[in-house]
Amino acid sequence: MNRVLSQFVLSKHANRGFRLSKHIFIIPAIIWILAFSIFPLLYALHTSLHSFRFGRINEFVGLYNFVRLFTDANLHSGLRITLIFVAISVSVQMILGFGLAVLLNREILGKNLLRAIMILPLFATPVAIGYLSITIFYEQNGPVNSILRAFGGGNTPWLSNPFWALVAVILVDIWQWTPFVFLVSLAALQTLPDDLYEAAKVDGASGWSMFRYITLPLMTPILTLILLLRLVESFKVFDIPTSLTLGGPGRATEVYSLFTYRTAMRFFDHGYAAAQGFLLLIIVSFIIITLYRRIIKVYE
Amino acid sequence: MKLTKAYAVVLATTLIVSACAVPQPAPAPQAAAPTPTPVGQEENIAKEVVAGDIKPPVVAQPCEDNCPFKGQTVTVIVNTAGEKGPISGPIYEVREEFEKATGAKLNIVEVPFAEHFPKLLTDLTSGTGQYDASIAGAWWLGDLVGGDYILSYDQWYGDPRFPAWDFEDVLAGPRSLLTYGGKKYMVANDHDGQVMYYRRDLIEDPGHRAAFKEKYGYDLKVPSTWKEFRDVAEYFNGKDLNGDGKPDNGLTMHLKVGGQGMFHFMSFAAPFVIGSENQNLFWFDPETMKPLMDSPGHLRAMETLVDLVQFGPEAMMGWSLGEAWDHFLRGEAALTFTWGDLGALAQQEGSKVKGKTGAAMLPGTNEYYSIPKGQWIKTDSVNRVGNTTGGSWAGVISKFSKAPEATYYLLALMASKPKSLIYAARGWDGVDPGRTSHFLPPDGTAKLEDYLAAGWAEADIKDYTKAYFDNFNAPLQFPYLRIPGTFEYWTALDIHLSEAVTKQKSPEEALKATVADFEAITDRLGREKQKQIYVESLGLKK
Repeated sequence: MNRVLSQFVLSKHANRGFRLSKHIFIIPAIIWILAFSIFPLLYALHTSLHSFRFGRINEFVGLYNFVRLFTDANLHSGLRITLIFVAISVSVQMILGFGLAVLLNREILGKNLLRAIMILPLFATPVAIGYLSITIFYEQNGPVNSILRAFGGGNTPWLSNPFWALVAVILVDIWQWTPFVFLVSLAALQTLPDDLYEAAKVDGASGWSMFRYITLPLMTPILTLILLLRLVESFKVFDIPTSLTLGGPGRATEVYSLFTYRTAMRFFDHGYAAAQGFLLLIIVSFIIITLYRRIIKVYE
Repeated sequence: MKLTKAYAVVLATTLIVSACAVPQPAPAPQAAAPTPTPVGQEENIAKEVVAGDIKPPVVAQPCEDNCPFKGQTVTVIVNTAGEKGPISGPIYEVREEFEKATGAKLNIVEVPFAEHFPKLLTDLTSGTGQYDASIAGAWWLGDLVGGDYILSYDQWYGDPRFPAWDFEDVLAGPRSLLTYGGKKYMVANDHDGQVMYYRRDLIEDPGHRAAFKEKYGYDLKVPSTWKEFRDVAEYFNGKDLNGDGKPDNGLTMHLKVGGQGMFHFMSFAAPFVIGSENQNLFWFDPETMKPLMDSPGHLRAMETLVDLVQFGPEAMMGWSLGEAWDHFLRGEAALTFTWGDLGALAQQEGSKVKGKTGAAMLPGTNEYYSIPKGQWIKTDSVNRVGNTTGGSWAGVISKFSKAPEATYYLLALMASKPKSLIYAARGWDGVDPGRTSHFLPPDGTAKLEDYLAAGWAEADIKDYTKAYFDNFNAPLQFPYLRIPGTFEYWTALDIHLSEAVTKQKSPEEALKATVADFEAITDRLGREKQKQIYVESLGLKK
């Protein structure tokens, strides 16, 4: 009887200890989330409800900073430019990156060298690339215009014309981030099972049919994930337009994050900048949730 | 399936949190700092002379056993430019002398221009006192004094414990930037203002003179009005000005957003708005704080500036200071208007215009729009307006400094006459002339030999110092904006100017947009408070 009782007591202690240790183990995660996610969010919310003067909180303004989001034409311009930037840049990166990955996922001469060269831009610092691009796109003696002239082209006003400045920013971003799409796509392509292709070949499927009915469906989940990552990153684009054009000419390349940076760090309007941060959060969250549902659907 | 969902939730959360991340701080954009930090085409830019070619004399003697500030540390924050760079260079140079004379230690913190003011303001708002002094831009004073963040040095000026320097030696224009609300805050150092630079060799060339007269019906000369400036720019545009066989330009400007183009507009627009019957009203109506930027005078100035752009390279709409100056230094432009740095750079190794660079006070107009009267007023002589456009980078002392007296000692030492004279003469250090002791007789007391020893061509330095003396001594001065949010107002002007010169907006639309932005900024910062400070900054307070 005593033995049974002592076993019962021991197992009760063990259960309690287990429950306790379970809670102890998740404490670091809770602290991390509280310190680095919840607290900054709450602090940003607090900031967004105040006006600032001389770099200090001036007064409580309620939702005034959020109301400004709907009436600020400069912000809307930044949002419009960001949407154009994201739409073009990410689309081209996805098509180009995946296309190159498909191309280099076969036995061709110098395959490894080409792959290594392809991913080099990924390791460069965006700010450095932005400044380097000032030289590359320099209108009078820059290499791009020199090459264009050699082929009979005109002098393209890369940095002094609103349209071409946006094109320049998009081109630099495409150059830097296409390798990311390429790299992840290639890694995924190499995991696709060979037997499916062999079976298709036996059945006399063409290259296009195999791509259309095997490669693409199998790659859809990973391509959706890449798209998700690129969309989120592109919405936050800051370094390249800041270092290359500083948002100009006029506001032609003033993307959302640059506008927010100026609001916070140049004009010290921290409350409004925080409100802008929340708007970006909502936009990006909407995209993530939409694509997340898509991912779930694909997995199901 | 559960795992997949859990993974997707974690992924989604991570992405949302990462989306909230603060963007990385900006690199050093080529923003409002009239100091020569050429960007982009550095290998093509005229090289600076080796720093230390001439050195300022030692003014403060070692303190031996009786060091007044022994054990104290003075930390100065300054725009990044290095030990041999503009504005920061002289601080490094004086460090040993200062430390030996006071027993204090001097720390120099360099930060990119774009980070300087935010870092300083963060330090001041938190009351940390990390920096004892900042080599600040003059337009920061509205925020720094308005926020009660810096100390007046009235109590120490003239005190024999500190190195002597002469406040009255500074000409009236730049001197007005050293004070705020009647108190002295900035210790004289750099003296910024824009003047016109022209190619003397081209203006004096008999062939060009004859051709110009035939085309325009009057003699080719140094432009005294913006109309003449336009004619000269038009005449030389497309001609080979440096003998390389390629067509060059009539003028060069820096009009990139963040490339300080708004300073071009300020200096340019001044004689269209300011005149004997309107000496102050350029920015705001002091009664209502309503912006005045869309007045007929401002509009004509904007239209004239936009018209001038056709005589420069299209690329200059994307140029900062470095590229614009480089264009002139290569001999590829006949005219420009900018800060004193260009005159000094023209004398240095690599310049193709040494001995050919004339300078004069900025051109004027024959009529201006008087805002108080609401009408255009014709002038008997050319209406020319001096300016102190730019940063006029000078030291201010933090209210939270633990060593304010030692800090003032350092700034006063650098402001002492023997040092200041050398700083102004040698050019590379970014300190532009602005004191009586910097100018040649009969305007001042400087010696021509000092400038020649620093590498100047005689004709160039004579024109240069005369131009700056005339500019700073002009009876009419452009009203410098020094209120909270000045940089925000100027950024709005900068962006809309860029829109106008790149034809995204008409001059009128650009000015209307500027006014709308100004109104929004004023409303946000508090109209009444802004008005009060603005009136005080103009010296209109009764």
